[in-house]
Amino acid sequence: MTSFVELLLSGITSGLIIGLAGLSVTLVFGIARFSNAATGDTMTLGAYGALMGTSLTGSLLAGGLIGLVAGALSAILAYLLVFRPLQNRSPISSLLASIGVAFFIRAVLGLVFGHDQMVFQMDLVRPFRLLGVRIQPNDLKFAGVAILTLALVFVVLHLTPIGRRMRAVADNPLLARVSGIAPRAVMFTLWAIAGAVAAVAGILLGMKTVVSPESGWDMLLPAFAAAVLGGIGHPVGAVLAGVIIGVAQELATPFVGFTYKIAISFLVLLLVLLVRPRGLFGKIEGVR
Amino acid sequence: MKLTRRQTLASLGLAAGAGLLPRLALSQDAGIFRIGALNPVTGAGGPYGTGMQKMILAAAEMVNAAGGAGGRKFEVFAEDTQTQPQAAVLAAKKLIDVNKVQAILGTWSSGVSLAVIPLTNEAGIPLFHCSGAPALSVAPANGKKLGYRFQATNDRFGRAFAEIAKKEGFKRPATMAFNNASGIGNTEGFTRAWTAMGGEVVASVVYEPAQPSYRAELQKILDAKPDVIVTGSYLADTTIILREWFQTGEEIKWIIPAWAANSELVKALGPDVVEGIISVDSISNEGSPAFAAYDAAYQKAIGKSGLGNVYAAMAWDMVIVLALAMEAAGPGADVAAINAKMREVANPDGTKVSNFAEGKAALKNGKINYEGASSILDFDEFGDVTPDFAASFIRKGEIKREYQVKL
Repeated sequence: MTSFVELLLSGITSGLIIGLAGLSVTLVFGIARFSNAATGDTMTLGAYGALMGTSLTGSLLAGGLIGLVAGALSAILAYLLVFRPLQNRSPISSLLASIGVAFFIRAVLGLVFGHDQMVFQMDLVRPFRLLGVRIQPNDLKFAGVAILTLALVFVVLHLTPIGRRMRAVADNPLLARVSGIAPRAVMFTLWAIAGAVAAVAGILLGMKTVVSPESGWDMLLPAFAAAVLGGIGHPVGAVLAGVIIGVAQELATPFVGFTYKIAISFLVLLLVLLVRPRGLFGKIEGVR
Repeated sequence: MKLTRRQTLASLGLAAGAGLLPRLALSQDAGIFRIGALNPVTGAGGPYGTGMQKMILAAAEMVNAAGGAGGRKFEVFAEDTQTQPQAAVLAAKKLIDVNKVQAILGTWSSGVSLAVIPLTNEAGIPLFHCSGAPALSVAPANGKKLGYRFQATNDRFGRAFAEIAKKEGFKRPATMAFNNASGIGNTEGFTRAWTAMGGEVVASVVYEPAQPSYRAELQKILDAKPDVIVTGSYLADTTIILREWFQTGEEIKWIIPAWAANSELVKALGPDVVEGIISVDSISNEGSPAFAAYDAAYQKAIGKSGLGNVYAAMAWDMVIVLALAMEAAGPGADVAAINAKMREVANPDGTKVSNFAEGKAALKNGKINYEGASSILDFDEFGDVTPDFAASFIRKGEIKREYQVKL
């Protein structure tokens, strides 16, 4: 039983990271209307930014903030140089272009930092026990950062004027436009948030594992799965779906074998979509 | 399209000329044997690849200086595998189709060798490699018996792990393997050897690469209460697994291959986490005259001791064994005839030799047995060798070799 609870906790931490990445995918999908395949590599870029920041400032927190800014800036840059010129073409053009952006980011990171793994120098601490369950302080910190990030995003989306405009554009771009909502500010904010959220996911992943140019790309599939499962374009759904995937992977694999870990997340996806094709939270008209 | 008479003549002339070209190339060829040095200069094999390539060049130069092998001199074409199968296949295609090499030497990771060997088989030329995957011993990969392995197989690594686990007095080992041919080869080799000694493996896990967490995998292993965990793993996954293990607070020993338990791992995790880990590597034929010759060449080319790069010693031996086989096969021998001489010049019974010039002279009086820099270099029926192993312990952040293991 205690090991079950421990796996549950571990699954929630992994799931929050998947959920953050899924949130970045789903935000871009809701407003810019395409699946951004560069999300994974924006994560990696954020992690490298945080590594550089940490070694420059000596503080993990300041380094993390630098990584976050790096992620946001790179997303805005990708928007200005690539996605804005393509915005009146079909979403397929943007999707393909985002794969190109992903390759570009990965290649530049490989060139600059090399392919050897890098790690965040963190204090490794032994766990404390609560009712017999091992709780790892670092996991609590990761979960705290993830939840704080999610809270901030939802505050921006729901309690600020720009957030309201973003939701208006997501709901109906044409109507938003005739109502006098200028798309430019909305798009800049969207890409900044999407980039920053991806960067946070990448930094947390890097702290939990190791940082290499490929690490974010490997997370893209679970992130897409979370976005789809949550109902594409639905922020709360993406986060919740990420947690479900993370927990399902950790809990189910001891029974079905670890080789099928990745398959589990897709099995969950399949089952949910069979029962509920629009995803957990998707609106019916949201399904295209 | 309309052709004038002049254009027609010109194109006919060109075609005829082109037809002559290969023959021209062949006629220049008589005294040259072209080899490809296909090494991991960048990527995960980067720390070893440059040294390997330089040793292939240095050994080829030495053979040429001794008058060449079988009347021919080596010409070396160097390429980088980037330690990636895709890049390696492109480079191998170029070496075979454009440079027309007659042997490829020095591929390193199993993934790369498994990707390249179909091409060398197709071209009918040998591939000398330093990869561990057991699949490289047998058909289809080695169906034509053109593949030679200068490194221990993962299976032999597993046997060495079992010897060390026994010597250290462990009773309840568990295994964790990265899901590829090399990782599983290690732990299966260990399990086979360990159960043959009458032992029991209490738990085993095969895990997937690039996961955000290996907690569930670890939990399964730890639930079986092992006293040591034997891995077939790489640096990145080992880093993640050890970090998660340390944070569970369980006390356990580890036996890990040296390509994962190296100074990078110590740097990534700090001395506390890695304290007491046993790192196992195959070692060169240290103390042999061939090793001394290689070491001198390595010092000259790289400026460091040859002890630090076991793969460069293998690359050195590759050229010398090939040259001796060419010498034994005689002038103008084709690749098949040279291949047939490989075991004859490297395996026991003949006069022991430790460099090319010595071997060339001794071949005039009968059979020879090249004792290499990387191992005594006796190929079994699969083209595999059995080097010696060393167990190193990580203490206070330093990796120190404590004893050797002979299989």
